[in-house]
Amino acid sequence: MTLDHYRIEELMAAEALGGLDDGDRAFLDRERAAHGACTTCGSIEAGFAETAGRLGFALTPEPIDDDMVDRIIAATARPPVAADLETPRDELSARRSRRPWAWAAVAAAAAAVMVLAVVTLTPRTTQVTEATSSQRVVAFTGTSEGTLAMAFTPGETGAVFWGSGLPDPSPGDVYEIWMIEDGAAVSGGCVTPVDGVIALHVDANIGTTDTMAVTSEAADCPTAPTNEPLLLADLTTIV
Amino acid sequence: MGVADQPEARDRDLMARLRQGDEDAFRGLFHRYAPSAKALAKRIVRQSHLAEEIVQEAFMAVWRDPGAYDGERGSVRSWFMGMVHHRAVDLVRREEAHHRRAEAAIPEALEEQTDHADDVVRQLGLPEERRIVRAALDELPPEQRQVLEQMYFDGLSQSQIAERTGIPLGTVKSRTLLGMRRMRSGLQEVER
Repeated sequence: MTLDHYRIEELMAAEALGGLDDGDRAFLDRERAAHGACTTCGSIEAGFAETAGRLGFALTPEPIDDDMVDRIIAATARPPVAADLETPRDELSARRSRRPWAWAAVAAAAAAVMVLAVVTLTPRTTQVTEATSSQRVVAFTGTSEGTLAMAFTPGETGAVFWGSGLPDPSPGDVYEIWMIEDGAAVSGGCVTPVDGVIALHVDANIGTTDTMAVTSEAADCPTAPTNEPLLLADLTTIV
Repeated sequence: MGVADQPEARDRDLMARLRQGDEDAFRGLFHRYAPSAKALAKRIVRQSHLAEEIVQEAFMAVWRDPGAYDGERGSVRSWFMGMVHHRAVDLVRREEAHHRRAEAAIPEALEEQTDHADDVVRQLGLPEERRIVRAALDELPPEQRQVLEQMYFDGLSQSQIAERTGIPLGTVKSRTLLGMRRMRSGLQEVER
């Protein structure tokens, strides 16, 4: 049973302000899905997002380091291109050093998840396949429906991902691919499946990564994971 | 055309140029919004260096993928400040240190702030935006304004507000909705 728009409006008002509790968020997500392409819902959400976004201008601006803009441009040494998933290594290194926290636990848990997957997901138990003498194919396992695999050559830059039967992320969200090394997560880019299918190339060096993970994240593609991984691939067993 | 429409047209032009990799457009957007973005992030995380890191990450996201902005869904300024707010609140909740920081710091009251940075941004028109938003906030009943400010500027969830203030959760929810409705229409009225 779906809610009327008053209740949805109430939930969306809190969501726009960042104050929605987890239980209400799950409830709203289900209602969003049930309402589908609801123009009233879209209008309410956009109106509140616009209103909330402007609240920050009530504060007195703070002086900021003018050199920051140069550092940002220098860190991304090419013009940005939408949907480009390339991540420069310098930036990756810098970001890797910043956020080690909870992903240490994720990395540690990854092996356990793999073991469980072998037991419970028989069709998905083949984790590593040798495609050629040097290439490797790794299957992801986890809580998400569908299948996702990654092909790469150890020691070389670049990896190819493909998946099918993947559910759409929540409205406004995307899937984000993470490379985890020593508990630090580095984004490999964001992607949205088309008809459940993902096919993409990530121009990053997988060589030193312990674990690959996929989370559902906001469309702005955050630089640190904010949600638990939906899919994981353990690379530590690969020679 | 509303007071805020002209800057928005300029913002959209900057975003269009940014999609072509125009560094000057990016610098324009940065100088226009970075001071307000830092103020918002600092208000939430309470630490200047963390606020700067959040602002840098948000602008990095814009620089890397300006196509993430969907003009159909709202203004550039709201979209960008929403990104900053999301990251700041997320940081506070992840680190679970908000209580300590909030207790250690004295929150700035909006009306008590000094506009020391006005000179920096006056020529860019943001004081006008600040006047509009403050005027709309001032029109809210105090109990609605308080809930909105605790949620947006202090990063509290509705249940946390209920717990801290002793107000029933249902009342917090209804005040949130009424406050946001009024704020939305207030912003529209002030701009007329």
